Amino acid sequence: MKSISIDVENLTVAYNGKVALHEATVQLSSSSISGLVGMNGSGKSTLFKAIMGFITPRSGRVLINGLPVRHVQKQSLIAYVPQSEEVDWNFPVSVSDVVMMGRYGYMNLLRIPRTRDRRIVAESLARVQMTEFKDRQIGELSGGQKKRAFLARALAQQGKILLLDEPFTGVDVKTEKAMVDLLIELRDQGHTILISTHDLASIETFCDQVVLVNKTILAYGSTADVFTEENLTRTFGGVMPHQLRKQN
Amino acid sequence: MDMQSVWQWFVAPLQYEFMVKAVVVSAMVGLVCAVLSCYMTLKGWALMGDAVSHAVMPGVVLAYILNIPFAIGAFVFGLSSVLAIGFIKSKTRIKEDTVIGLVFTGFFALGLVLVSKSPSNIDLQHILFGNVLGIPDRDIVQTAIVSLITLAIILVLRKDLLLFCFDPTHARSIGLNVTALNYTFLTLLSLTIVAALQTVGIILVVAMLVTPGAVGYLLSDRFDHMTWIAIASGVFSSVVGTYISYHIDGSTGGCIVVLQTLLFVIAMIFAPKHGLLVRSSKRLNESP
Ligand SMILES: Nc1ncnc2c1ncn2[C@@H]1O[C@H](COP(=O)(O)OP(=O)(O)OP(=O)(O)O)[C@@H](O)[C@H]1O
Ligand SMILES: [Mg+2]
Repeated sequence: MKSISIDVENLTVAYNGKVALHEATVQLSSSSISGLVGMNGSGKSTLFKAIMGFITPRSGRVLINGLPVRHVQKQSLIAYVPQSEEVDWNFPVSVSDVVMMGRYGYMNLLRIPRTRDRRIVAESLARVQMTEFKDRQIGELSGGQKKRAFLARALAQQGKILLLDEPFTGVDVKTEKAMVDLLIELRDQGHTILISTHDLASIETFCDQVVLVNKTILAYGSTADVFTEENLTRTFGGVMPHQLRKQN
Repeated sequence: MDMQSVWQWFVAPLQYEFMVKAVVVSAMVGLVCAVLSCYMTLKGWALMGDAVSHAVMPGVVLAYILNIPFAIGAFVFGLSSVLAIGFIKSKTRIKEDTVIGLVFTGFFALGLVLVSKSPSNIDLQHILFGNVLGIPDRDIVQTAIVSLITLAIILVLRKDLLLFCFDPTHARSIGLNVTALNYTFLTLLSLTIVAALQTVGIILVVAMLVTPGAVGYLLSDRFDHMTWIAIASGVFSSVVGTYISYHIDGSTGGCIVVLQTLLFVIAMIFAPKHGLLVRSSKRLNESP
């Protein structure tokens, strides 16, 4: 029996009085990849932000490995890659500077990198095939390369838990394949991964579990049990997703 | 101008003690302001800098009236303005730039009223435009202490402040206290303004807080290089500006800021990568 890494209980989140997630409950076991699926505006990004504690829920709670998320963040245990980075792309930092920011939690107050930090940064860049771009200013990258740079930062953080909000959007097929292989490798090393995606066709190829959202959590559990035609119809408001119909 | 006269131009004024003090103080202030200006330009806080610098006015006046160190009065009011801005922004639906404009003019106006009704004769001119050529010793000590404290804090927190400017979301997700960093940054801003008051005065402080950073930003894509360039241009214009003001018998703050702006214009035109010349020649090459 695996232990529970991400435990969300009766979470209700509202923006300016408008409820985006209503009494969401989900439990994700450790060492697993969970696919988060739902329509635009169904509350996927909201769930990520609420798990990270960036928005205060109206009610409910989130526990990571049985602890409040602030506690887990202080140990750099949880890495989050947002759907779109809201950073200034003209900022005078290089790709490897950005990846090094994933290591700050392990450094002393002065944040002086040690050999180990440099090695991990180099490894993380290599894992997402970004080594050749390491000295580029962060804005001088393509959209997909930017995504990979921030994924490398999350890897450098070496958190046991990875939250990835649509990492495949704007990424080419070859890179997506490489990223999936990487996620599987991380899972096998004991990482817990929650990943949102609109690519329904690939879910079954790498997700152990699926979480379906539509303003609340409709269902969650093993892919075989939950990723059914009936559930997906509910998730997508009665419209059968095209990809799935093709498979059947 | 031959080497001899350049030498004379720099050395001759140093026979006066007030000039030695002025050069040392303005170099120190140029340094502190340049370092902070890198973060200020990246964070986009020019308006905030302008606000805090104006808001210290009543503090300086009260300090003179009550005969306490000007640095304490200025710091207290600088910090109160920041807190007032934060409070009003979070408790009302008014947009940030409106709140900033509202708070700093309110503080500044209070300062004006205090000056006009103060029993002791306070030189408004000196508060508004600085007076580094006539800076008293106790003010030099205060400026030096404040500068050292500010530099030390920035040195220790430089990576965290940079992360806070670049990506506060990531800062939070690795457990850094972003609210504390925000207020630390604002405290550093208040301290720097206090240090620069005597040199350039309330009105021109904001130039010291953004121009060197902007010069560095145009000339480099590396934060370290940007900082060194900002320091070089900030210290250079502070020191040379002080000399020019001595020789032409003009406003010191004015000379410093004009020089700084000139450096900015040169950088803007000639910067190797982000300059106007390179940009327009690129555009010419690209168009068929
Ligand atoms: N900052 C915000 N302020 C107000 N409403 C918001 C905000 N962010 C999201 N919402 C609303 O909350 C709901 C859920 O948004 P969310 O971003 O979680 O959707 P999503 O599932 O991630 O969608 P997508 O697939 O487009 O990324 C939407 O109705 C959206 O309009
Ligand atoms: Mg989203």
